[in-house]
Amino acid sequence: MWLPAIFLIIGISLGLLTDFTVPDQYSQYLSIAVLAALDTLFGGIRAHLDQTFDQKIFLSGFFFNIGLAVLLAFLGVKLGIDLYLAAVFAFGVRLFQNIAIIRRHLFQKRKSKK
Amino acid sequence: MSLKSKIIVSILCIFIGFMIAIQFQTTSSSKQRETRDLWEVRAQLQEEQQQQQLLYQQLDKLEVVLEEYQDQSEQEQVAALQNSIQELKKKAGLVEKTSDGVKITIDGIFIDSPYAQEYPTVSPELLNRLLNELNTYGAKDIAIENERIVTTSPIRYVNGETYVNNHALPDLPIEVYVLSDNPQRLMDYMEVSQSKDDFSIENMSMQFTLIEEMTLPAYQERINFDLVEVNEETGEE
Repeated sequence: MWLPAIFLIIGISLGLLTDFTVPDQYSQYLSIAVLAALDTLFGGIRAHLDQTFDQKIFLSGFFFNIGLAVLLAFLGVKLGIDLYLAAVFAFGVRLFQNIAIIRRHLFQKRKSKK
Repeated sequence: MSLKSKIIVSILCIFIGFMIAIQFQTTSSSKQRETRDLWEVRAQLQEEQQQQQLLYQQLDKLEVVLEEYQDQSEQEQVAALQNSIQELKKKAGLVEKTSDGVKITIDGIFIDSPYAQEYPTVSPELLNRLLNELNTYGAKDIAIENERIVTTSPIRYVNGETYVNNHALPDLPIEVYVLSDNPQRLMDYMEVSQSKDDFSIENMSMQFTLIEEMTLPAYQERINFDLVEVNEETGEE
């Protein structure tokens, strides 16, 4: 379980070290992609705790979610509607749900250990 | 979880971390970009240095005054105080002032022409523009006819006449007296100024004459300080 956390830290430090920035007009897309990625990550952790983790679903979900979110944001910009809010809402709700379930799992684990 | 899926999750974690870091950098570094070139930066630096010099000079002056206050007998202190008051009055335009300057004579053109529509008059807007321009080009003190211009001098349009300091301006020609540290330069600037064009459009001409030792009248009225408050932060009014 520690391996992903370490890699996450490596990724963050890599990003901070490269001094790489995204043009202002694309930062919205990146933020929505980050949200989608986080959602997938927490979904994966939850699936792992539920013992229903499927590597294919995880991997495809990661890219599909990011792609869909960015596409929605792009479409929203083209149509003049803040469609990215739909993605933000969906991912936000799912993030909270997943985290809540993960929390419950962790409590149960602790209880069963005692 | 198998090792393979662990590795996949880890690699995705690197991605996510990278994206978060970039997003973080993008949002935190969206300050205004530095687009000035070397010369502009140099000019800015020089400006700031001049400003610093000016502030140092002012500080020196004030320190001298402070010393005078501190180590003198009571009588001398009163004298120093009087001196300061006189100095401030001079700055505010409440006393007469004599120095080198430029006399600007504003006169009508085409007055004798049979096609002249009406006798030209100086509008408050024109005068305001003229004063702004004079101040830009280094005027120290200005008087329009006999009216000394101070910080609060009103220039208004009342009943078809232009009022300066609540007194009506006479008909053309009008004389504007300007004191400056460098009258020649001021005159050169004014010869090619926008105001000259503006006055020409209104059928008025401007003549500039250098005058040595010109005396400006004092501001006659009381300056109203009712609404003036001391700024607590800077100590300035």
